[in-house]
Amino acid sequence: MFRKILIANRGEIALRILRACRTLGVEAVVAYSEADRDSLPVQLADEAICIGPADARRSYLSAPAVISAAIVTGCDAVHPGYGFLSEDETFAEVVGAHDLTFIGPPPPVLDRFASKEGTRRLLGGYGLPTIPGSDGMLRDDEHALAEAARIGYPVLIKPSAGGGGKGMRMVRTPRELDSAIKVCRSEARSAFGDDSLYLEKWLEDNRHVEVQVAVDRYGQGVHLGERDCSVQRRHQKILEEAPTPALSPAARADLCERAIRAVVAAGYENVGTLEFLVDGAGDFYFIEINCRIQVEHPVTEMLTGIDLVATQIRIAAGEPLGFSQADVQLRGHAIEFRINAEDPAHEFRPGAGIVESFHAPGGPGIRMDSHLYPGYEVPPYYDSLLGKLIAWGPDRATAIARGRSALDELVVDGITTNVEIHKALLTNPTFLDGRMTTNLLDRIGSAAFLAAAART
Amino acid sequence: MPDDRDARRADRDAAGPGPDARDAAARAADHAGIDRLAATLVPALIAKLGTLNVGELEVHEGDWRVRLRRPAGASATYGRRVTDRPSRTHPGHEQHGHAPGTPEPHRSSRALPGPGHGASASAAASNGSGPAGATSPGLAPVGPGRGGEPVTSSGVGEGGHGPGPSDPNADAAAQIATSPAVGVFQPGPKSVAGTRVRAGDRLGVVDMLGVPQEVVAPVDGIVVGVIVDAGTAVEYGQELVHLQPAVATEGR
Repeated sequence: MFRKILIANRGEIALRILRACRTLGVEAVVAYSEADRDSLPVQLADEAICIGPADARRSYLSAPAVISAAIVTGCDAVHPGYGFLSEDETFAEVVGAHDLTFIGPPPPVLDRFASKEGTRRLLGGYGLPTIPGSDGMLRDDEHALAEAARIGYPVLIKPSAGGGGKGMRMVRTPRELDSAIKVCRSEARSAFGDDSLYLEKWLEDNRHVEVQVAVDRYGQGVHLGERDCSVQRRHQKILEEAPTPALSPAARADLCERAIRAVVAAGYENVGTLEFLVDGAGDFYFIEINCRIQVEHPVTEMLTGIDLVATQIRIAAGEPLGFSQADVQLRGHAIEFRINAEDPAHEFRPGAGIVESFHAPGGPGIRMDSHLYPGYEVPPYYDSLLGKLIAWGPDRATAIARGRSALDELVVDGITTNVEIHKALLTNPTFLDGRMTTNLLDRIGSAAFLAAAART
Repeated sequence: MPDDRDARRADRDAAGPGPDARDAAARAADHAGIDRLAATLVPALIAKLGTLNVGELEVHEGDWRVRLRRPAGASATYGRRVTDRPSRTHPGHEQHGHAPGTPEPHRSSRALPGPGHGASASAAASNGSGPAGATSPGLAPVGPGRGGEPVTSSGVGEGGHGPGPSDPNADAAAQIATSPAVGVFQPGPKSVAGTRVRAGDRLGVVDMLGVPQEVVAPVDGIVVGVIVDAGTAVEYGQELVHLQPAVATEGR
């Protein structure tokens, strides 16, 4: 096991990693930017080190700053969390070159799964169905038009680098394609420094279902069930739950078993998530793998009782997984609500400011992962996630009832949050019936969705 | 500060059922007001208070009010880190809670051997003599509501050795050369106590993964002494070299 881990992230995930380190008896150092000097992870850490100014490019995204901080604090491993440097295989390599361990897949494994298009080919070869897509990256407009015609409209334009739904556009006609590609290229270039794009067939009324896996260095791998992340706003997940209401128990088992077989065969290592689209007929298509801990990992932790962050750290340290598929028991139902500093009344504009009061709900089956505290000033520089409220129950109806009660109990004063959209979801018949698709909110627009919920 | 927040809350309550009820025009006006304060008023006020022998300044502009006040015993807020705690890895940290310009004796005796020692120690002592000492105002902005936000927005993206976006002690920090990076500090020849330096002069480097990052003098002045020993691991923004500003020296 590691002696000391540098946590190269912020907010709730820095806190989550700190907790996992404490559970494992490993020392931890929180690396922070000047804007996060008063943040909760910094205050709770045994040690903290300022690595740069508020601008993430010179702090959380600066590989030299993060690695230098790890070295001068005597760490032997770096945990990147999610976002920032978590999926940067060059960073992982440089970490390794300084005799530090990157907590995640080893660099050669990251490299193998770095390209989404290459990964679809790789895992497609190990039996995972994939969505019909373009033959490689789009070379130019003619190539894009030809490929879109071959796949059939509507098509989704996707950047090869990055994730989190950024830089994606759906187009229905050849006329839209041309200008959409220009926009996507420039977005991808500025967000990821790589403007390679590819096309995918757009599945109408699809659902987003992902499988959590954990594979150790010795080829022992398990799946930890799936999560349904269909509730999205403009490709950004806002609510996740497990098990998915979209599939029967037999179909879920089939999906998860095929996913773990494919990644073990392809030589994956550490925790990871395979994302699938599920169409109306219940057919599933592999879209991409996330080689990191995900925001929504607590949903799975609630069902399995397994600490995924600790598991991730143990695997990176070279420990065997220590449990088998038969040991993974999925109990009950869990729903995670992402609490964001966003204003639903104003196009979900991100906000910042001082949290005047904060109360995290409690009670049976309720978990709140958040870095808020009364008096905390939410800085305007980073993403808007304030915390995650997770409700577990023996069945979906109980999880919903507990979630509703917990959302009512939650207090975040001083900044506007998106909590209203969650309350609206819990009154929406489509959601309550478990029939939500990824366009549930965007089809009528979030504002109209909120207004409709207010009328019921 | 509390009264400002109460005022804002009352404003919201009066405007409607929730915080979102404020109309866009009012928000735009607020933003314009904050920008104006950040860009012009706050820096001017800080400079003004630095030269005046008063404890507090207050200016009203539209609905916004800015009050700058010297903390009682300016030294108390001088250390930048609210969250500071003894740390094995930050051997340079423990001095942050000390009065400005009063390096620990053992540290200064190591850092400033030889004839320069006595001079720098006395300079430091007079410098830290109290809140009225014009050379170490130790300013802390109070109000409007959002703490240092205006200062923050103007501070971001500038050189790596500024006082830092959230640092309320903008003027006080101008006398301290801070670390431009996380790494290992190596003082240079110009960091010797008594050396007369110009703003921008290189006082030493912080080695970040083998790449030297320059520690530069923020103002014209005379080096009082290094705060952190050579070879020490330092973090970004950490105080490294103490300077007596030229203006204050001539004024005495």
